[in-house]
Amino acid sequence: MYPEKSIYLPQVATITKANMMTKVDRYFEFELEGGKDLGHKPGQFAEISIPGIGEAPISISSSPNLKGKFEMVIRNVGVVTNALHNLSVGSTVGVRGPYGTHFPMEKLKGRDLVFVSGGIGLVPMRSAIHYALENRKDYGRIMILFGARDITQRLFVDELAAWSKQSDIEFLETVDVGNPDWKGNVGVITTLFSKIKDFHAANTTAFVVGPPVMYKFVIVELFKMDMSKSNIIVSLERHMKCGVGKCGHCQINRVYVCQEGPVFALDAISELREAI
Amino acid sequence: MDFMQISKKDFQKFVENLIQSKEEVVGVVKKGKHFAYDILEKSEQLCLDYTETILPPKKYFLPVEETLLKYKTGVASSYEATYGKSPKVIIGIHPGDMAAIALLDKSFSEGEKDSHYLNKRANSTLIGIYPTQSFPHRFSNSMIEKDAYKAADCFLVDLGNDYGIEVVTEKGKKIASAMKAVAGEKGLNEKIAQAKAKIKDEVSMPFSRRELSEFLHNKETHAEWKKRAEKCFSCGSCVLVCPTCYCFDVKDTVALSLQEGERKRMWDGCMLEKFANVAGNHNFRKLAGDRLKHRIFRKGKYIIDKFGMAGCVGCGRCSQACVANIASPVDIVQELKK
Repeated sequence: MYPEKSIYLPQVATITKANMMTKVDRYFEFELEGGKDLGHKPGQFAEISIPGIGEAPISISSSPNLKGKFEMVIRNVGVVTNALHNLSVGSTVGVRGPYGTHFPMEKLKGRDLVFVSGGIGLVPMRSAIHYALENRKDYGRIMILFGARDITQRLFVDELAAWSKQSDIEFLETVDVGNPDWKGNVGVITTLFSKIKDFHAANTTAFVVGPPVMYKFVIVELFKMDMSKSNIIVSLERHMKCGVGKCGHCQINRVYVCQEGPVFALDAISELREAI
Repeated sequence: MDFMQISKKDFQKFVENLIQSKEEVVGVVKKGKHFAYDILEKSEQLCLDYTETILPPKKYFLPVEETLLKYKTGVASSYEATYGKSPKVIIGIHPGDMAAIALLDKSFSEGEKDSHYLNKRANSTLIGIYPTQSFPHRFSNSMIEKDAYKAADCFLVDLGNDYGIEVVTEKGKKIASAMKAVAGEKGLNEKIAQAKAKIKDEVSMPFSRRELSEFLHNKETHAEWKKRAEKCFSCGSCVLVCPTCYCFDVKDTVALSLQEGERKRMWDGCMLEKFANVAGNHNFRKLAGDRLKHRIFRKGKYIIDKFGMAGCVGCGRCSQACVANIASPVDIVQELKK
């Protein structure tokens, strides 16, 4: 027998908290057996599975500093995610990972950070935002831009409210479609950029995570603000079915997203025509 | 590399003994007008004088469908890895298919090691044979360079009444001694070289594989992809028969009792319409032209750049299998070159 154990064999995790955040997005807190840490870095993902249903790649939403547990927000869009929505606290799932590249938080010490998330893009972004806030003195300005389709699609609403009040965070939020109850900005996420004052492109790193359609528009806006490709970091969505660089589903041109992504510096992928 | 030889009669005797020893022995057999790899029940079935098999021998290491894990339904603590079996010996692999196995070996051992594949692979001894018949679509000589020797344990070469044997590995040495092959008489090397050169490819790639990768570099937006793909049915025949395609899907299947189930991997292919789908039904390779381009780039560029090995071994099966007659890598490259 080949000595290595199966790379497809999951660990066991228990759901310790679960609640609906929107009509389709459910928040989960998981604990691994024995209270072990998942050992992830901000921006990585894991494969979550239910025996008899299947497996799906899900972004990790918590900071690595949250010890003994990890958080995810899972949108009900397929067979596995639908089944996950039907599990209750105390249920167990399989977990493989963490997999993929991460936001290079260590290397960005001393820089201004602007986090641009659209919709469910906030879920992986939150792991980096939390990390930056936990190490607040290591970074310059922290700007958080968040756009949701409408007010029912907003995620982590308590945290959004807290960030908007925190004096060491510049928080800007918008919804694509307004509502009489909504007193904030209305418009797509790119309309927020003009509201940032005294932006220093050379000292800023931008993080961009959102639905496929968002990237082009946000990146053009960042270029207008003199941001260079090497200072723009994106996380791209693909179906990382195996997570270990074999199955081919997540491939963008020559790149396996589960290995060389999902977090990329924009200059590293600008020659990949299928990327954005 | 050692050169040995054995009479065809003695070789058949060896195969018969192997079958009698209750080990699973696989070889090329004739099925109607076609050829296929199958389990040998008697040595007469083995047919080493063949054009090309319908499917490559890949299926013994990466089966069409394979159980990775077993479990009790809904019980995450019950996951258990399972490992399939592979034949003890596979006889009659052409150099192209052998080079394809070398690529699979590389892919499944590079980075995260896939023990499901590697276990099966380690269990088998591979006996190749140089083609004795031409196959109209084959262009292996343009593609495989020396890769076949990275997977083969030994190669047979048809010398009329005898087989010449190129012994490649320790396993190859062991099996050659088990078949009582004898050290080559004087001039055997030359005889083998002549016999190997007898069957020439009827088509060829206009580039070496290094050049092919460079040639494709700026061909991503070429009009040929869209034009050619207008005839594509997205049926996946080209990827189904391909010896170097190793992409797969993973699915859970539950037993009738609903109490237990299996996580299986099954062949999948980038030419199928939904291959690059993500949640919310967004498809990153929606157009058939983009899928065709991806397939050719994988074969002719990405894999060559990544592993330094051919992503296409020129077996010609895709050219033959394609319903719309658009899959031939040689034809595509010729068009791109115009």
